Amino acid sequence: MTEDNMLDPTFDESNDYNSANVQILRDADHIRRRPGVYIGDINTTGLHHLVYELIYNSVDEALAGFCNNIQIHIYVDGSISVKDDGRGIPVDIHPQAKKPTLEVVLTTVGAGGKFDKGAYKVSAGLHGMGAKAVTALSAWVEAEVRRGGRTYVQEYERGKATTELKDIGIAIGTGTRIKFKPDHEIFKDLDFKYDTLEDRLRELAFLNKSLSFTLTDDRTGKSEEFKYEGGIAEFVKHLNRNNDVIHPPIYIEHNVGEIKVECALQYTREDEERVRCYANNAYNPVGGTHLSGFRSALTRTLGAYGEKLDVFKNLRPIGEDFRTGVTAVVSIQHPEPQFESQNKIRLLNSDVEGAVSAAVAEKLGKYLEENPKESKIILDMIMNAAEAREAAAKARKAIRDRKNILSGGGLPGKLFDCTTRDTEESELFLVEGDSAGGSAEAGRDRMYQAVLPLRGKPLNVEKCRLENLLNNTEICSLISAIGVDIGNQQDYEAVRSSLRYNKIIIMTDADVDGQHIRTLLLTFFYRQMAQLVEHGHIHVARPPLYKVVQKKQIRYVATAEDMQNELLERGLDGTGLIILPLPGSNAERITLNGERFAHLLKLTSRMEDALQTLEKRGLGLRALIERVKDGVLPYCRVLLSGREYWFFSPAEVDAFRKQEQEKAGKEFVAGNEDQQPVAVPSPEGVDNTTPAIPPADVFYAQELHEIRDINKTIEELKAFGLLPTDLIPPVRIAGREPVPRLVLTNGDQSKNLEHLRGLVVEVRRIGEKGMTITRFKGLGEMDPEELWDTTLDPHQRTLMQIKLDDAFKADEMFRTLMGDKVEPRRDFIHKYALQVTEIDYHGA
Amino acid sequence: MTQVKCPICDKPMSFQARSEWPDFPFCSLRCKRIDLGRWFGEQYKLQGHDHTEDFHEENKSE
Repeated sequence: MTEDNMLDPTFDESNDYNSANVQILRDADHIRRRPGVYIGDINTTGLHHLVYELIYNSVDEALAGFCNNIQIHIYVDGSISVKDDGRGIPVDIHPQAKKPTLEVVLTTVGAGGKFDKGAYKVSAGLHGMGAKAVTALSAWVEAEVRRGGRTYVQEYERGKATTELKDIGIAIGTGTRIKFKPDHEIFKDLDFKYDTLEDRLRELAFLNKSLSFTLTDDRTGKSEEFKYEGGIAEFVKHLNRNNDVIHPPIYIEHNVGEIKVECALQYTREDEERVRCYANNAYNPVGGTHLSGFRSALTRTLGAYGEKLDVFKNLRPIGEDFRTGVTAVVSIQHPEPQFESQNKIRLLNSDVEGAVSAAVAEKLGKYLEENPKESKIILDMIMNAAEAREAAAKARKAIRDRKNILSGGGLPGKLFDCTTRDTEESELFLVEGDSAGGSAEAGRDRMYQAVLPLRGKPLNVEKCRLENLLNNTEICSLISAIGVDIGNQQDYEAVRSSLRYNKIIIMTDADVDGQHIRTLLLTFFYRQMAQLVEHGHIHVARPPLYKVVQKKQIRYVATAEDMQNELLERGLDGTGLIILPLPGSNAERITLNGERFAHLLKLTSRMEDALQTLEKRGLGLRALIERVKDGVLPYCRVLLSGREYWFFSPAEVDAFRKQEQEKAGKEFVAGNEDQQPVAVPSPEGVDNTTPAIPPADVFYAQELHEIRDINKTIEELKAFGLLPTDLIPPVRIAGREPVPRLVLTNGDQSKNLEHLRGLVVEVRRIGEKGMTITRFKGLGEMDPEELWDTTLDPHQRTLMQIKLDDAFKADEMFRTLMGDKVEPRRDFIHKYALQVTEIDYHGA
Repeated sequence: MTQVKCPICDKPMSFQARSEWPDFPFCSLRCKRIDLGRWFGEQYKLQGHDHTEDFHEENKSE
């Protein structure tokens, strides 16, 4: 069926919608014999299509400028009506058919106002077939027309009129209402779906801004109005309702000749491009000329803008990059739309491409110029997409090139593989450095232990400093040795079956570089092989830090803490402390040993952390002790006009601030604790190369929590007869031997101590007697046997299993260390310098 | 809900079940790919010796 044979050449081309516009083609029975030709199918889709055909007729009336409201009403008997406030279908007698035009429109196939461009410039319906299809496929139809002040009704059954057209009285306003009940002889399922109609009505309401659609369902009592003043801009907003958008929708409306172009677009942080294209309200799922016009405008306009800002220096985005993340609706109205297939899947009119492209380029270009902030974000997104595309290509290439670094068996040449193929018991050690790798290779049980050495320390020539990284070859080796497909890891079962080792064990030195390599590896696993982390395959080896030889027996101690505890324990054995009275004091001499002495040691070592924190801040203990009041140190520090003041409570600080403000006659700026300048040089002579002096009117106040901790310990020390001054060496007076205050005794040996802080160290030194302690600086210092005994042998070693949370922390640390921002990096390092225990997640 | 940020684009995300988060720990497959590309491209480097970072060693040798 083509338009040509439906056209009646004798037809009158006046611009009125009256009986003369209607033409006659075929008999209605044809529709009942072949309904699929007219409405697609006889299932739910076809059923709803009947309603849409009537709606399209009303929308055409709206497009022509005569209709504002369209109401769809579902009744309890399963019938439905479509009512508009348009001009009303003409009711006068059609000259050829000799019947009322209304009846011709509803019953005579091929008759309709739309074959003639005069009546409707643009049209969405089935070339006037729609209304006839509804009548032909319905058990009954009631048509009501309000026109010329009168109301007319006529009834039909299965495509034929069953009554005359009747004038039933006065009409207020104009319009058409068609109510029908689909024919059960044609449709198996007669149930109109509210949700289906709702979706289509909402879409039509978006596409036809300000046109109101009301959907009422008597079966449920539900009723909704769809009306969008913002048109497709609101449509785009609706499509993006669950997405992370980066700017408000950009709305474009432009007429190019007879073609009306409307477009709305908005970038999101999503991956896909979502462009919905419509021609004369019909959705074109495959797109067509409007889609290609839109795409070329995006590439051209954003490309020119990026060029202007010079952001494509290193990477040139291509078409698909410009479209990543965009959500858009392109809607055009064309007097003679041409589509591919009956379903209008693609728009074919070639003039549309240029029209859309010109309209979008002009308006989008203007938007970009006027909104530099949003434009920058859009460009960032595009660059991101380009980088992702390049990255995917790079990864593909790397995996393809893997052959070059793989040995015959498809494994990296540097890998010392194990013999067994039982992946339940096999282990892969990732070892930092070639020498440690050599030791590990020699010391391992090659039956089930594999070793992959990683270098990780090439010199950055420009910066003349070492950098830690996993190079391309190492990443490839890592991936192929582990055996897991990097691109396909959704399914753990698949991951597990390709995994070549049950345990992957990271073995690095306990220094900064080792920590970096470990952080890099953990970050890599966390980001690219999270499944391995989650299922507990990733481990960190904990080689011991100390080797102890005692009575020719060799043993290993894992951590500094363990070593120190052991030394302390041994040192306590038979050791005591005598506290002599200060000169001129009547106090008795005190002797501490056993549990009480151990308790004192615990107190002093606990205080040591706080004292060290204080020193890291560049604050001297002696200066604070000179300020002792009632046996406690001041813990509130104030810097004002380049001078330092100390107070014992925040209340004192407040009073001081008030007093100084009154003196100065102005209010001070409250200094941020984090920006507080480094203090005046401390008495210990800490070199402060940049003694920042705060501006005169800034009042820096800070509470030092470590001093509160120290105060707590000082309070406890009282019980032992010890004073704050016992924490520092006595002031030496020339020519006089200092009077001893603290004497450490062990058997017949004794030693004078200058201050309490030396106590722990001295006791440890006693504990060291009879032992030779070596600290390993790196794994390379261990010979193969030592490495086996301490780190490789499953019966003796300590492994730390990495949990997702540990890897997450590694990733966090990595991000901070990697960050381009110097400040947070330094803060981070400083923070962890003060809280050393935390940088070693689980002591790894 | 814990808020986490995508390692690549910093997009904030609330922590969801891993089964509903195929591109974990990224916001999208795109960002995951960018990350992989950066590993292969040797763009992830941690600065080695720099005296501010030697704290770790100092503390270890205590």
